[in-house]
Amino acid sequence: MTITNVASEVIGSVWKVEMNVGDAVKAGDTIMILESMKMEIPVEAPVDGKITEFKVQPEDSVDEDQVLCTIES
Amino acid sequence: MNQSQLPETLEEKLEQLGQREETARQMGGKDKIARRTAAGIMNARSRIDALLDPGTFSETGLLGVSTVYEEDRDKTPADGKVAGFGLIDNRRVGVVSNDFTVKGASSSMTNMKKIGHVKRTATDRGFPLIFLGESSGARMPDNMGSEGMGTMLGNDPHQYVRHRETPWVSAVLGQCFGSSAWYSCLADFTVMRKGAVLAVASPALASLAIGQKVAPEDLGGWKLHSEETGLVDRVVETDEEALAEIRKFLSYMPSHNGETPPVAEVHEGSDEAAEYITQILPDSRKRGYDVRKIINCIVDLESFFEFKPRFGRTAVTGLARLDGRVVGMVANNPLAKAGALDVSGCEKVTRFLVMCDSFNIPIINLVDTPGFVIGIEGEKKKAPGKIMNFMTALQMCTVPKLSVIMRKSYGQAYLNMGGGRNSDSVAVWPTAEVSFMDPQYATEVVTWGKDASDEEKSAIREEMERNSTYLGLAQIFAAQSVIAPQDTRKYLIEELKIQQLRRSGGIGRHNMASWPTTY
Repeated sequence: MTITNVASEVIGSVWKVEMNVGDAVKAGDTIMILESMKMEIPVEAPVDGKITEFKVQPEDSVDEDQVLCTIES
Repeated sequence: MNQSQLPETLEEKLEQLGQREETARQMGGKDKIARRTAAGIMNARSRIDALLDPGTFSETGLLGVSTVYEEDRDKTPADGKVAGFGLIDNRRVGVVSNDFTVKGASSSMTNMKKIGHVKRTATDRGFPLIFLGESSGARMPDNMGSEGMGTMLGNDPHQYVRHRETPWVSAVLGQCFGSSAWYSCLADFTVMRKGAVLAVASPALASLAIGQKVAPEDLGGWKLHSEETGLVDRVVETDEEALAEIRKFLSYMPSHNGETPPVAEVHEGSDEAAEYITQILPDSRKRGYDVRKIINCIVDLESFFEFKPRFGRTAVTGLARLDGRVVGMVANNPLAKAGALDVSGCEKVTRFLVMCDSFNIPIINLVDTPGFVIGIEGEKKKAPGKIMNFMTALQMCTVPKLSVIMRKSYGQAYLNMGGGRNSDSVAVWPTAEVSFMDPQYATEVVTWGKDASDEEKSAIREEMERNSTYLGLAQIFAAQSVIAPQDTRKYLIEELKIQQLRRSGGIGRHNMASWPTTY
């Protein structure tokens, strides 16, 4: 059992979260969408697994490399 | 027999020679080597063995030692820098491997001659040069005093000048101060192992001389160089991985600037991946995506070798192959700052263009950028100068240049990314939008102080958007082709054949061969 941290590639804010804790994800699935420089930046699952925790919620500001959620696989 | 005895017969002379060679190969002694091995760090000789094709190393200067101080003769096997020649994938290379177990691989009289010999031979005879860096800098006290300086330094007027005659590679595999740091900055490709340090001088000297207490990682660690300075192209976990990266880099490079890069076999399934582009490209113009996924759909499978992935992330640069032939990919990445080119991105692209042009590698631009990042942060870092370096570099390139406008191409960045005659040919996707600035901002500019209503403004904006599509470029022949995204691979392969430099056998003019190696 490994826990993978999903981190933000950009500075911006959380626009919408498209999944819930406990949801199964496949690598490449969109978990949430950030907003940065008037662009929508999708955050994709890097691995297959199950979402165990969200560390941010809509409208939160996020920094580059900030952990957004965790996936257990 | 005793090494200080004078042998008489040939047999005795050969025996003594054998002993001397064996001693030299022991480097700084069994204890020091054992400590490194226990820590999982390779030594100067095992690095060479892992780098080169097995059994191909022919050493030069094995019996070289320091003669500056009599007592150093027996303490400086190979004078701390193992040098010679060998093969990588059956192609000739020169290599200098720093032996930190011998006086910290510091630079002194004999080993500088050894480096000079390998460098000269590689340049004159036309093959790549590899530096495996781990050195403490100038040897003390050899270099001290005016006589020390006058004797040791300044004897080679071309020591640190690059004309890019042959590819140079550097690995940062430990503490790299002095020559190991300089060569890392001069190389075409630099790989760094995590835990290694690249800096002008050591943290100890920084503390002693300016009272700055700083951790080695902060002074010159992998995070600093892969994210902030961009001096390092790739970061790896182990020595073995670093050596594998060097072999991989060289597989894309010609042996010298008078030949074209080697052609490789095309990975099976390369043509099929092109179909997936349409799944990656979002329908909404406001939606970001990772352009590296698009690159991987276009180039030969598993051939994309990215440079500086964590530095200047608004742009992506890397070597790849199209139908087996090496190309340099330059792309905007909408994932970072919407793909708006920042100062680091400009530096990264400039350096890459200079390298590709110097070694006869055609350039492919994949364009999706709203322009250059504006604002005070960039201006403080000389953004206009960086943009012009980038632009000048592109215009000076004499290798074939192709551009594909995928989505946005605005303002000056349209030119920097190969718009108009800045490419040998331009293709546009039907999703392309080209203008001087984003219609949203342009509307504000043209209605400035005019008390326009919201309805008027949105009418102006819609009109601007209608006039910004691919069709305008195609109709006035500012773009030579309109292609579907999934046909990009096929188009580029064909267009590269058309644009091939037939008159010179694929060799460019290398007008930037002596440009700086950092910006």
